Amino acid sequence: MHELGVVIEVVKTVSEFAKTHQLQKVDTIVLQIGQLSSMIPKYIEDCYPAAVDGTPLEHTKLAIEVIPAEAICKQCHQIFNILQHQSKCPDCQCEDWGMLSGKEFLIKEVIAY
Amino acid sequence: MEKFKVLEIKESIFDNNDKRAELLRAELKQDKLFLLNLMSSPGSGKTTTLVSTINHLKDDLNIGIMEADIDSDVDAHTIANTGTKVIQLHTGGMCHLDAEMTKQGLNGLDAKSLDLVVLENVGNLVCPAEFDTGAVKNAMILSVPEGDDKPLKYPLMFSIVDVLLINKIDTIGVFDFDIAAVEARAKKLNPNIQVIPISARTGEGIEQWADWLHTQVHAWQNH
Ligand SMILES: Nc1nc2c(ncn2[C@@H]2O[C@H](COP(=O)(O)OP(=O)(O)OP(=O)(O)O)[C@@H](O)[C@H]2O)c(=O)[nH]1
Ligand SMILES: [Mg+2]
Ligand SMILES: [Zn+2]
Repeated sequence: MHELGVVIEVVKTVSEFAKTHQLQKVDTIVLQIGQLSSMIPKYIEDCYPAAVDGTPLEHTKLAIEVIPAEAICKQCHQIFNILQHQSKCPDCQCEDWGMLSGKEFLIKEVIAY
Repeated sequence: MEKFKVLEIKESIFDNNDKRAELLRAELKQDKLFLLNLMSSPGSGKTTTLVSTINHLKDDLNIGIMEADIDSDVDAHTIANTGTKVIQLHTGGMCHLDAEMTKQGLNGLDAKSLDLVVLENVGNLVCPAEFDTGAVKNAMILSVPEGDDKPLKYPLMFSIVDVLLINKIDTIGVFDFDIAAVEARAKKLNPNIQVIPISARTGEGIEQWADWLHTQVHAWQNH
């Protein structure tokens, strides 16, 4: 599955982070995923248990924040949601815009003790 | 109960892979080793094209092949029959290779003394396009039976490759496939893309493709 490799990479990165910061237990991993990222939150959640199985993060929870896909219109500078407005500026209908956010795939933070 | 703390990480998994890929490219430059990442849908003719490419270039270049497959070694056997150094990388269910896996593959192949290594990536037009393997150049194969609308459906792949091989042109009479339309669609996404029509079966176009590759290897080794 497309998402599995990326989730394994997340688990690796967080495990290393936990080691260098001497965290006893990581309670939650918080990911930020853009609406237009090729990673689908539901699939990320589905393969997460397999990725942490047998690792020190086995009991760590996963939280996902979705980042909206926003763009700025190059003609009238309106900021709009790309998905809601079918890739067209809702003000001037122009299709020439720059993406501001929506492609992210980030490990935002961990909650740990 | 101990108290919790929130530790910010703010790391992008794609950025991490991009950094590793850049490091790998720098190593390849030092070793004068050219790595080509070859991508396509399953069955478009990657292995067949590799065999004819090897036959064209093996007298001039030391070549190695890395076959990435989810779980088989059929292609590695085919390549081994040409007498070329080959390693099979099992991706274990993963749909793409990243820079780390590519680097491990190169180590396993003991590639330092080679001129050219081709990575036959997992057959898939989506995921491999998102992960920089560290290759010097990226190539893709689109075969005639797949249809000429593929640049419209998989724009990312067409926009990141340096060269597009249109394979199985010996079958063009049977399929409704417009080479000029594919070329125009691909160039709209990627103005610098090289488009080379080939038939790995009849050998048509293979010389032009092998020449392109040979020139790239020389440029990488000597500049
Ligand atoms: N007619 C015709 N058939 C071809 C050509 N190139 C490859 N084939 C056939 O297409 C089929 C698939 O070719 P492969 O080289 O195995 O394709 P591949 O992309 O390596 O396939 P996977 O590794 O499974 O993704 C084989 O039956 C080949 O004989 C060509 O130029 N013309
Ligand atoms: Mg193959
Ligand atoms: Zn506008």
